[in-house]
Amino acid sequence: MGALALAEAGRRPLLLSKGQGATHWTGGTIDVWGDTEGNDLREVLRSLPASQPDHTYARVGVEGLEAAIDRFRALVEAANYPYVGSLERNTLLPTAIGALRPAAFFPVTMAAGDVRQADEMLIAGFHELRDFYPPLAADNLQAQGVAARGVYLTLPPIKRSLEFTTRTFAFLFDDPGFREQIGEQLRKERGSATRIGLPAVLGLKDPVGAMRDLERITGAQIFEIPTLPPSIPGMRLFQIFRNAIAHVGGRLQVGSEVLRGIGEDGRLTTVYSEAAAREQEHRANYFLLATGGIAGGGIRTDHTGRVWETALGLPLRAPQSRAEWFEPRFLAEHGHPIYRAGIATDDGLRPLDAHDHRVYDNVVVAGSLLTGSDPIPERCYSGLALATGWHAGQLLRIED
Amino acid sequence: MTTNIPHHDHIELSIEHSLDHCIKCNICSSACPVSAVTDRFPGPKYVGPQAQRFRHEQQPSPDESVDYCSGCRVCNQVCPTGVRIAELNARARGKIIEDRGLPLRNALIARSGLMGQLGCGPHAPLANFAFKNSAFRWSLEQIMGIARAAPLPTYSTYSFRSWFKRQSQNSEPRPKATKQVAYFHGCATNYYEPHVGQAAIAVLERNGYEVLLPEQNCCGLPLLSNGAFPAAQRYHTSNVEKMLPYVKRGIPIVGTSTSCTLTLKEEAPEILGLHSPEVRLIAENTFDIFEFLRLLYERGELNTDFKPVDRTLPYHPPCQLRAHRVGRPALDILELVPGLHLNESTADCCGIAGTYGYKIEKYQIGMDVGAPLFDFVRSSGSDLAVCDSETCRWQITHGTGVPTQHPIEILAAAYGV
Repeated sequence: MGALALAEAGRRPLLLSKGQGATHWTGGTIDVWGDTEGNDLREVLRSLPASQPDHTYARVGVEGLEAAIDRFRALVEAANYPYVGSLERNTLLPTAIGALRPAAFFPVTMAAGDVRQADEMLIAGFHELRDFYPPLAADNLQAQGVAARGVYLTLPPIKRSLEFTTRTFAFLFDDPGFREQIGEQLRKERGSATRIGLPAVLGLKDPVGAMRDLERITGAQIFEIPTLPPSIPGMRLFQIFRNAIAHVGGRLQVGSEVLRGIGEDGRLTTVYSEAAAREQEHRANYFLLATGGIAGGGIRTDHTGRVWETALGLPLRAPQSRAEWFEPRFLAEHGHPIYRAGIATDDGLRPLDAHDHRVYDNVVVAGSLLTGSDPIPERCYSGLALATGWHAGQLLRIED
Repeated sequence: MTTNIPHHDHIELSIEHSLDHCIKCNICSSACPVSAVTDRFPGPKYVGPQAQRFRHEQQPSPDESVDYCSGCRVCNQVCPTGVRIAELNARARGKIIEDRGLPLRNALIARSGLMGQLGCGPHAPLANFAFKNSAFRWSLEQIMGIARAAPLPTYSTYSFRSWFKRQSQNSEPRPKATKQVAYFHGCATNYYEPHVGQAAIAVLERNGYEVLLPEQNCCGLPLLSNGAFPAAQRYHTSNVEKMLPYVKRGIPIVGTSTSCTLTLKEEAPEILGLHSPEVRLIAENTFDIFEFLRLLYERGELNTDFKPVDRTLPYHPPCQLRAHRVGRPALDILELVPGLHLNESTADCCGIAGTYGYKIEKYQIGMDVGAPLFDFVRSSGSDLAVCDSETCRWQITHGTGVPTQHPIEILAAAYGV
């Protein structure tokens, strides 16, 4: 989002990344906050500073979040992959094991999975696709009062016989002939169900078209259920972002981890990325750092209790000793302190040191590298990523 | 695994650590262009970090499908945790070859210098006739397993080195340049495409460089990718000896074959575990030509006196260039040429992967891998495509019928030479 904002402003950003991660791991939903009570998320976020004054969302505000979501939705809409949903309340969508997961926005291909609708579901999958068990998902949904039944489909004769990943299936669903064959099977299996859930593998080229084809053949609503990574919805987002950023003059360099940076007089001047035989030098006027938190690789820890930021060595807010990293209970309600470790910033998302002095004037920080939130128990990973990324990009585009 | 690996060897460390670093997220498997099109290769995760659990020096190799890895390194690029999967695969293949020996076909096609000498020179028309003759290609396929449809390059009637020697004897002595580079031409420029080397020299001279031509041999990459490590090591050691005097005098090595420059920089040292100061010195002072030109540009030293070239061309950054991890230097420089616009392909690989696509059992895989790129080039409607790597250029032309040039030829044209 940050690179997109800068590319659209004509800043010709270069996006350096160690690899592919965030997009390919996400289920594709926009998780703003893990509220399951039906509360208005804007109200929840507005009241957040009362209990957590330093929460990351406070840096961007509800307006910042809404602006980011508007831009994101326009982006995916233009790529024929529209998102639906609302900040008024979360929708509960089924997971691959039949748990209920709150999400504010989600691809239109997941919309019919809303478990608050009463319609009976058929959950269908393939033996060949591991980690997606329709009977298990259906049983768990049934136990939670959602009318659901699970079936396995038979793969029509295809060229592949050995290795099946989510991508193998996405390629298959890109083929209209394959959709016809699967659609026919689903029509026969449908019974009294009026909606059918499939693993989120309905193609990389035109998932909405695939959904419509299956709906036409079966006469039922079709919805996708996120799978384990690599996530096809995430890969669609990667393609959409890559194409959009490149289209407006940005450059992506995947496989180039930033190892260090140097600066003078409170400004970062140069970063160095890993490359064959020697580091590659990159000079720029402004830098946006979004390397992720502990899970994403932007923060590392070791057995001595050391916690450090990997790209620029910026100061972190983190528990002082290793004994303070974890709560006694693994599933502690508010998560573990170490996962809140991150960079503290001023209102302009510029990094601060332990004495609240700005480290660099021309660096802004976005995403889960920021301290102040623990996106996993709070279920705000993608909401924060969009909001802070877009906001950081806006802050830099108004510089100069 | 291979013995005598020093402790600071990245790949050996990566092999040791990969079981910890690999989080089994399968991003590599979802990016691999080979497993996308064939069951013969189950994907980088399985044959790399996964199979590594079962590899032991004293044990037979647990997974022969590693031979279907094309070495394109897309897996390395996308891995979020930095596992060097392609190198794990290369070493695993090396172990299989060490145990069983190199098949004759692979021993032959991996010696690109020898193959080049065979047909380059005044007798080139004869060699080209033979290699274009369908009966000859059929027998070559039957006897040797070299796919009859695969795009063997056209031999040049003269070698680049012979041209260089002639023109330095014949031409007027040039005003002494203060700056020098040593040019690594590689086998393709020497035996098949001397025009690429001629363009490189013209461009470097336009920028005030005297181009020196060190003695050199094949970089050894085809041997490396066929698992013939001892021979590859001899080639590399020989190149290091030949080029060391230049580097020691502060003269950088610049190459137009992006796979050769990658081999000098990283492939040979890392896959073979060579880490002597001499090997490192060569690695650190070798540059792909556009990487070098971009450095000149960044220092404000590039001659940007370009004539307009009003063209929009499809450009494919080859896997070997991407493995340098230096971005898209050819795009960075060529976008300075007025009127010229390059459309970058997002296709992962052209499918040829050096010698991979020449093998009868892999030819169709290579063509299937290249299909998205061929579509991209064809749908551009252009009568010319651009790519930094020679075998990829031949494959693109083979897959599309569109002639393909090295970006240095485009740049030379922009200088009006």
